[in-house]
Amino acid sequence: MKGIPVQIDQVKKSFQSLEVLKRIDLSLRSGEFLAVVGRSGCGKSTLLRLIAGLEQMSAGEIYINQEPITGTHPDLRMMFQDARLLPWKTVIKNVQIGLRTKETTIAEKALEMVGLTDKFDQWPSSLSGGQRQRVALARALAGQPKLLLLDEPLGALDALTRIEMQQLIEDLWSKQQFTAILVTHDVSEAVMLADRVIVIEAGKITFDQKIELARPRERNNDFVYYEQMILDQLIKKSRRTHYEIEFTV
Amino acid sequence: MQSIKTLINKSFVVWVVPVIFLVGWQLSGSFGFLSAETLPTPWQVVKGAERLIVDGSLIHYIWISTKRAFIGFFIGGLIGFLLGFMNGLSRISEKLLDTSIQMVRTIPHLALIPLVILWFGIGEESKLFLVALGVAFPIYLNTFNGIRNIDPGLLEMGKVYGLKGKVLFWQVILPGALPSILVGVRYALGVMWMSLIVAETIASDSGIGYMATSAREFMQMDIVILSILLYAFLGKLSDFLAGLLEKRWLKWHPNFSRSK
Repeated sequence: MKGIPVQIDQVKKSFQSLEVLKRIDLSLRSGEFLAVVGRSGCGKSTLLRLIAGLEQMSAGEIYINQEPITGTHPDLRMMFQDARLLPWKTVIKNVQIGLRTKETTIAEKALEMVGLTDKFDQWPSSLSGGQRQRVALARALAGQPKLLLLDEPLGALDALTRIEMQQLIEDLWSKQQFTAILVTHDVSEAVMLADRVIVIEAGKITFDQKIELARPRERNNDFVYYEQMILDQLIKKSRRTHYEIEFTV
Repeated sequence: MQSIKTLINKSFVVWVVPVIFLVGWQLSGSFGFLSAETLPTPWQVVKGAERLIVDGSLIHYIWISTKRAFIGFFIGGLIGFLLGFMNGLSRISEKLLDTSIQMVRTIPHLALIPLVILWFGIGEESKLFLVALGVAFPIYLNTFNGIRNIDPGLLEMGKVYGLKGKVLFWQVILPGALPSILVGVRYALGVMWMSLIVAETIASDSGIGYMATSAREFMQMDIVILSILLYAFLGKLSDFLAGLLEKRWLKWHPNFSRSK
């Protein structure tokens, strides 16, 4: 099981008159873990939704495994900020969605991977937020995706659960070697998980940096160095625009 | 304090008020506070029921009314359900049909009784028509709303996970709309009995409503009261059945599993 490459070629996206993405060029090699960082409304989630085939792009082309996409790709799975489990299905049935088989062994294995062996027959409503997100991760991985999209999947979790989930995601990614794209506004999460971090500001990629730290990563000086570099990029820009506004007044 | 709470949790508690009411009613009749012409005692009603059971007409009338109620419910429910699904799933269908349905809905269906009698006479069709017409709208509205209010996040998830067509319908759309549909079913059951009672009272030659009307002509107060009690009982019974469906189909829903 290997990941698949993704190529984004001059992609633009507008909603009515609002231009959300202005010419994005980006390419990911197989098995790469990319983090997309940016402020709210910068277009980072829109980019992810374009790759997932949930939105139509206004111009440009996206290639998954060298083929231009037309709708949702069968080797692609996505995790959302909310778990989006079907409340009328038990945990194990939720994981089986998209597997197209009555056989439960794959789903059971996926739930074992995320450490939820004792919850097979529970309703989603009886789980905690972190457990629900684990089920969603198991559901995404049960289909053996070659490309996993993560749309701020840990944003709603408490700090400790988030660290646990980050470790879990890194662990499963290094075992299964799928290509991963994580959208987040948490800079340290991006540095913790990604091979490469890009920053999107006002619909453009303004920063692209490899994170050359050994895994599993620790919060040492080098880690903080990368973190600071990305934060500077995000915050300096907004300061500058702030001044510009002051000058025009 | 604790013992009162455990007492309240027992299931017989719901019957305490009806039983007290019945006993009070019987006593006020036995001691002559109520004349039998105004209101016969429960015991007299039981005696009347016995008389009708012996000559076989009571069971016959209950059977006829129940059959009418459920056939009418089935026809009207199916129509409402199908229209609700069509308009819920397709914007074109909604544009074409919804306005017309809403216009017909605002007519009180019982106001059609004179027309229905002219069309169908007092045969079976007139009762079925009125019940079906009354039942179709609550089911239609709730099915339609149920579908339109399905969490768009779940539909999007289904898309990414490759759920399409039939699978999407059975796994996501129908179960998502089901709580709302069952609210419609419960409401429609009430409309079903009401439509049937009115139709049977005005235009019929059999059934519980007919039994009440003919008893009135002969001043058989016990039978009139018996008919009213029968409607209460049948109404409660169908509501109970709807509750069972909810418990069974919505056991995933925190609101329904909690009441267990």
